[in-house]
Amino acid sequence: MPDTAAGAEYIRPLRRLSRGDEPRFGGKSANLGELLAADIPVPPGFAISTVAFHAFVAEAGLEGRIDGALARVTAGDLEAIANASHAISEAMRFAPVPDVVRIEVEQHYAQIGHAAGVDSPPVAVRSSAIGEDSADATFAGQQETYLWVRGVQHVCDAVRDCWVSLYSPPAISYRARLGRLEGPPAMGVTVQLMVDAEVSGVMFTCNPVSGDPSMVAVNASWGLGLAVVGGEVTPDDFLVSKVTGEVVREHVHSKHVEYAPDPTGGGAVRVAVPPERSERACLDLAALARLVEVGKRVERHFGSHQDVEWAIARDAEALFVVQARPVTGLAKKAEKLKPASAMSLIMGTFGAGPRND
Amino acid sequence: MATTAPKAGAFPSPYEIEPPAGCEGWEEMYPYYALFDERRREIDENRFWFWNSMHFPMPMPAFDVICIDSPYQAVGAWQNRVFAVPPAMGIDYRCLNGYIYISGNPVTDPAKIAERAEFFQKRAGHYFQNWSELYGKWRAKMEALIRELGELRVPDLPEYEPDEVAFGDDRNTAFYEVLDAYPRALRLGDLMWQHHFEFLLLGYGAYGTFVEFCKGHLPDIPDQHIAQMVAGIDVLLFRPDAELRRLARLAIETGVDTAFQQDRSPDEINAELAQSDAGKHWLEELEKVKDPWFNMATGDGLYHYYRSWLDDPSIPYASLIGHISALGAGEQIDRPTEEIRRERERLATEYGALLDEGSRTSFNDLLNLSRTVFPYVEEHKFFCDYWFLTRWWNKIREFGALLARSGFLEGAEDVFQLSRYEVASALDELVLTWSTGGVPLGPKHWPPIVARRKEILERLGEWAPPPAIGVTPDAVTDPMTIMLWGVTTERVQEWARQQDGGSVLNGAAASPGVIEGLARVVRSVDQIGDVRDGEILVCGSTSPAWAPIFSKIKATVTDVGGVMSHAAIVAREYGLPAVVGTGRATAAIRTGQTIRVDGTEGTVTVLGARES
Repeated sequence: MPDTAAGAEYIRPLRRLSRGDEPRFGGKSANLGELLAADIPVPPGFAISTVAFHAFVAEAGLEGRIDGALARVTAGDLEAIANASHAISEAMRFAPVPDVVRIEVEQHYAQIGHAAGVDSPPVAVRSSAIGEDSADATFAGQQETYLWVRGVQHVCDAVRDCWVSLYSPPAISYRARLGRLEGPPAMGVTVQLMVDAEVSGVMFTCNPVSGDPSMVAVNASWGLGLAVVGGEVTPDDFLVSKVTGEVVREHVHSKHVEYAPDPTGGGAVRVAVPPERSERACLDLAALARLVEVGKRVERHFGSHQDVEWAIARDAEALFVVQARPVTGLAKKAEKLKPASAMSLIMGTFGAGPRND
Repeated sequence: MATTAPKAGAFPSPYEIEPPAGCEGWEEMYPYYALFDERRREIDENRFWFWNSMHFPMPMPAFDVICIDSPYQAVGAWQNRVFAVPPAMGIDYRCLNGYIYISGNPVTDPAKIAERAEFFQKRAGHYFQNWSELYGKWRAKMEALIRELGELRVPDLPEYEPDEVAFGDDRNTAFYEVLDAYPRALRLGDLMWQHHFEFLLLGYGAYGTFVEFCKGHLPDIPDQHIAQMVAGIDVLLFRPDAELRRLARLAIETGVDTAFQQDRSPDEINAELAQSDAGKHWLEELEKVKDPWFNMATGDGLYHYYRSWLDDPSIPYASLIGHISALGAGEQIDRPTEEIRRERERLATEYGALLDEGSRTSFNDLLNLSRTVFPYVEEHKFFCDYWFLTRWWNKIREFGALLARSGFLEGAEDVFQLSRYEVASALDELVLTWSTGGVPLGPKHWPPIVARRKEILERLGEWAPPPAIGVTPDAVTDPMTIMLWGVTTERVQEWARQQDGGSVLNGAAASPGVIEGLARVVRSVDQIGDVRDGEILVCGSTSPAWAPIFSKIKATVTDVGGVMSHAAIVAREYGLPAVVGTGRATAAIRTGQTIRVDGTEGTVTVLGARES
C-alpha cells in the first residue's frame, strides 16, 4: 500500500511485502515477503519502513547534529570516524521513537502475539538495509540483530538501536570509502516472531568458496545463531549434493557454547554445551535433506544462489527460514570460465588450443 | 618437463642417492641408457623426474624392462611423431635403484608449437570424428594380434630333427626356429604396445577434458558422479564377472552348487564336478566361456607377476563361491543395468540444468564425446593389459622353460631375471651347443646371476623411493604429465613441502588463492591499529567491527570459524586468500614471521623459521 492521504506508511506485515518494496522496507523485509508468498516457512512479523527512520530523525531534530559530526570525517581516518560515531549515537539514543510509529508498532506486535497465542511474544529485531548497502551490509557492519526481545518498549528500543547502527564506525567508514557521507542514509527494520531454535545456522545454495552450483553448503550450531555469528564457535560444516542428496563433505566441530532465551525475561544468554552434545553433529541426514529441499525452493523462487539463515524449532522440530539474500562475491570466479566449444576445450587439453592461458 | 624457472633444493639429486646396502651393482640389470650416467649429469640433474609409481610400484626385474621401453617408444611415437601434441614430445625414463622415474620432453619454441598444432588438430580431429569406425578396426587388429601370439610356437630342441625336415619342402631346423621365434615374440609385444597407445592419448584427453570441465564448473562434484555419467553400461570388462554369475546360476539350477565349498581349491571342486553328468555339463559350459573371458589378470600392472584367471583360477572360483552363496541367501547379484542407465541419464540432465546455456552445450558435447571414446578407455585394458600381456608373459615363460630344460636356468620363471638381450644371448648359446653337441657354459653362467638379482630385487623392494628427484619446477605444464599421472603443480609443491618438513596448519579453505607475506597476530579488535599495509592478519576470529582492516591486509587466517564466518565472507568480497578454523594459528604463528596462506587448499605454512 503506497503512502496514503492519512500520512506516511511506517509499518506493513511481512506477508504483504514483495520485491518492489525493497527501496522503502529494505532487502531483508522484502525478501521475507517474497518467501512467504512462495509458501516457504517464515516466522510471521512486520517491517518498519525508512519513512519511520526519517520521521525519527526529523522529530528529534537530529539532522544538524549528524551533518555537523560527519563534516570532519574522511575515509581512513579511524579516529575521526570513532568520534563522529560516538557523538551521533549518543544523541540518537536519547531521542524518543515518534508516537505515530510507536502506536503502529504496538498494534502489529499485538497481532503477532495474538496469532501466536502469547501475550508478550519474543521477537527478533533486525536491520534491513537498502539498495546497494544490502549486498555489502555484511562488512559494513549493518547487521544489527536483537534476539528474544519482549514487550513494546523493548521492541521500540531495539528498533532505535538498529537505526543507531547506521552510524557505527564500520558503517561510517564504509560510506566514507564510497564517498556517500552526505545526506541521510536509510534503513528498514524487520520484526519477526522468534523461533526458539534447537539448531540454527546458514546455508548457501552453492558452495560459496568454490562456486559449485550443484552443492548446498550448510553451517550449523546448537541454539540461536549468535554463537556462530559472533565467532565464538566453529560450526558443523556440511556440503550436500543437490543432485543426489549425498553429504559430500562433513566436518563436525566442538560447539562448546550456545545461546538460549533468557528464562528470566528478554534477551538471549550464553550457555555451556555439555561435552557429549558439543561434539555431536547437530544435524542428521533427515534434517539436512529438509534443509536442502527448502534451500532449493528458495533458490528457484529468486532465480539465483541464496544465502539462507534458518532455524529448527526446539519443540516442533519445524524448520523456519529467517532470512534470505543473494550470495555475493561469486562473480570473479565465474569470469574465469570463458565459454568454449567442446572441441576447442579438448584441443586446449593437448596445448593445441588458441592460446589456452 | 615443461617448467618455468626451475629451482634446485627441495628434491634430492639422482646423483647423490646411494644404493641400499647389499645392492651394489644393481645397475647391470638395466640398459646403459636407462641409468643416471655421469656423462649426461648436467642435463639429467637439471630436470624434474617423478617416480612412476602408478605403473612401476616395485623394483623392475631385468626382463620386465621391456614393458618400460616398448610403452615409452609407442607413446612417444604417437604423441610426438603422429599426433604431434604441440607442447610435449615423449617421455624419458631413468632407473634409480630399480625404480622408474620419468620426465617429459617439452616443446618450447612457439613456432614449433604452432607448427605441431596444425598436425594435431587435423590428425586428432580425424580420430575424434571417425572414432567408432576406427575403434572397430582396432579391435579387429587386436584380436588378430592375439591370435598370432597364440599361434607362435616355441620349438623344442629334439635329439634328431623329424623326417619332414629331411624330406619336406621349406622346413626349418629347430635352431633357426628358436632364433626366429624369440625376436618375433618380442616384436608382437612391440606391436601390442603400438596398438595400445593409438587411441589412448586421445581417449584420455577427451575424457580428461570432460572431467576438467565438470570440476571447473562444478568444483565439488564427486568423481564418482562424473564416472557414472560417462561409464558404459554394457562394457566388455563386466563380461567376465557376468559369465561367472551366469555359471553360478547354472550350478544352482543343475544342483551341482554343493561342490563349491569355501575351503576347496579349484582342483578339488573340478574333481567333484567331474563325477556327475550335471557336473561335467557345467565344466563344459565353463570351457566355452574361458576363452576369452578368463583372460583377466589377477592384478593390475605391467609386471610378469600378474597371471591370468586361466593360470590361476583361484580368483574366479572364489567369485563363483561368493555368487553361489549370495544366490542361496536370496540376494540379487545381477548388475541393475536399467537402474544404472536411468541414474546415468538423470545425473547428466540435472548437472546440465545447473549450468548456463553456453556451458550446457559444451557439457553435453563433451559428455557425448566422452561416452564415444570411453569403450576404448575401458576395453583396451582387457585386450592389451590382460588378454595379450598375460599370454605374452606365458610365451616368454616357454622360452624360460626351454632354457631350464638344458640347465641354463633353475626354472622357467627365472627367465625374467635376465634382460631381453641376455635371453637372446642365452638362446644363442643354447642352440649353438645343441647344434654342435658341445658343452654349454650357460648352466654355470646364468644361475648365479639369477640368484644374485633375486636378492638385489628383494633388498631394493625395501627401499622407499622419493616421489621426485632433480629440480623442483615452479609449474607443471606438460599436458601428458597432468592428464595421465595427475602430477600437477600443486601436487609437486605438496611433495616439496613434505621434503622440507615445514610447519603446516590446516583449516577450512575459505577464500581461494595462495599468497606469502608477513604475519600480524592480532588478539583483539583494539589492536587493529597495529596492522600495516600488506600484512597477513592472524587472529581468533573477526566481526563487523574489524571491517576497516580488510582493505589493508593481503590474506587472513583465523583460529575459529567456518567458510561462512565473517572473516571468510569478507575475504571473498575483497578477493583475499583466507584459511579459517585452524584452531591454533594465533598460538603457532608470531608477528613478523613469513607465512604462506593457501586459501584453495586450506593450509597455512610457516616459512619464517627458514627465511628470517
